[in-house]
Amino acid sequence: MDRFIYLTFDGLSRGLVYAAFALALVLIWRAARIVNFAQGSMAVAAVYVAYSVTNATGSYWLGFVVALLAGLLLGVLVERVVMRFVDHSSPLNGVVVALGLVLVLQGTLGIIYGNEYQPVETPFSRDAFEVGGIAMLSRYDLFVFAAVGTVVVVLTLLFTRTAIGLRMRAAAFAPDVSRLLGVSVGGMLTLGWALAAAVGSLAGMLVVPTELGVHPTAMDVVFVSAFTAAVVGGLDSPIGAVVGGLIVGLLLSYVSGYIDVTVAPMAILALLVLVLLGKPGGLFSSSKARVA
Amino acid sequence: MSTDPPLKELALHNITVRFGGLTALDDVSLRVAPGRIVGVIGPNGAGKTTLFNVICGFVNPTSGSLTLDGQPWRPRPHHLNRLGIARTLQGVGQFAGMTVLENVMVGARNRHAEREALTALERCGVARYAGAHPGALPYAIRKRIELARALVAKPRILMLDEPAGGLDSDEIRWLGTLIKEVGTTVLLVEHHMDLVMSVCDEILVLDFGRSIALGTPGEISENPRVTESYLGAPA
Repeated sequence: MDRFIYLTFDGLSRGLVYAAFALALVLIWRAARIVNFAQGSMAVAAVYVAYSVTNATGSYWLGFVVALLAGLLLGVLVERVVMRFVDHSSPLNGVVVALGLVLVLQGTLGIIYGNEYQPVETPFSRDAFEVGGIAMLSRYDLFVFAAVGTVVVVLTLLFTRTAIGLRMRAAAFAPDVSRLLGVSVGGMLTLGWALAAAVGSLAGMLVVPTELGVHPTAMDVVFVSAFTAAVVGGLDSPIGAVVGGLIVGLLLSYVSGYIDVTVAPMAILALLVLVLLGKPGGLFSSSKARVA
Repeated sequence: MSTDPPLKELALHNITVRFGGLTALDDVSLRVAPGRIVGVIGPNGAGKTTLFNVICGFVNPTSGSLTLDGQPWRPRPHHLNRLGIARTLQGVGQFAGMTVLENVMVGARNRHAEREALTALERCGVARYAGAHPGALPYAIRKRIELARALVAKPRILMLDEPAGGLDSDEIRWLGTLIKEVGTTVLLVEHHMDLVMSVCDEILVLDFGRSIALGTPGEISENPRVTESYLGAPA
């Protein structure tokens, strides 16, 4: 039972990071109908920026804030300079360009920082508290809970309580109708990419210190888990991304804890196949209601 | 004294639109004076919706020009709302994933979006559906919601694209009253001739993209060319 509780909390903590990353994928999918395969590399680029700032100043938190800002900026640049010029007549075009962007980003980061793993410290201890002799959560897990929880609340408020969020949703649902109502669809698209890249950067900042460290390909495996989370939840659904992230996190934790860590990628693949066979639209998909 | 901005004059000068070998509009001119209700009629394929699309900036004219308040004007769709121009669509075009209230709020132009959206919905008699999703509502109700969404920004030029389509006679009577009372410039594309004749100050008749008549409802109903090409011979 002790093991089960520990693995559950570990899975929830990890799952929230996948949820944040899946949320970033969903934000772009809803806005542009593109699965952003470059999301992981963009997040790594932001983590490297944080790494440089923290090394230069000694402040983790300054690096953390700069990483989120770098994510925002990178999102704007990728949309304005690259994705805006992609011919969207075929959905594959966006995918191919995103994959090309992965190569460019990983190559550039490798040239600048080298292809060695650089250890990244966490701002809080990763030693788990013990309650009644049972290992529960670490301070870092609590930080992850708070950070991702804050993002989910802020995004929920943005999309349901603000005019800009309403316009972003409108632009995603029916761009031409939105234009007639005064919505700058291009502006909303840029904002969507910026927000998604910032959320992806947050996920990168949270997960990279718990792995081997920062490396140009550090987010590749995380991307696979987060992509699975987004598909499980339904690429259209922010709630689905969060639930999908938690499902993937728990599955990875249980499989790694009870069977073997090497089996975990197979479990993710099996989950992806099961969902695609049983409910291809995902658990929370609302794609039938979409116009665009 | 009203603080509303003045109504705008919209004019199209010798507009021609060609799609490849097809001429959708051929040298069409129209002046929509402030406060007037102008109907645009014609058989299917006459170019009525293309005319609306030119004014909205969805279609660039092959030749010709537009002016707004006497100034040369190149319309852009997302500038229309700010300029006080609103348009409804034939196909209703509501955001299925949003509530009725949210749909209308998207079109509002100031900080009091929710209050103004509710006022527009009340004006159109559909405020009780504010929390519903439009996809689940009858077509006639969705038409009223579409009107509310156009009215919420208090437009100075209201463009209605077949607003009576799919409505029963009571609904059409209500629509006619609303158009007359809305107190703004109205451009109306419509097939329902009783509605057009009863509300319009002026009517433009298109046939195969050409303007074949422009005049008051009385003049149009007595124009033999219009009778021949669109209204049909009297029984």
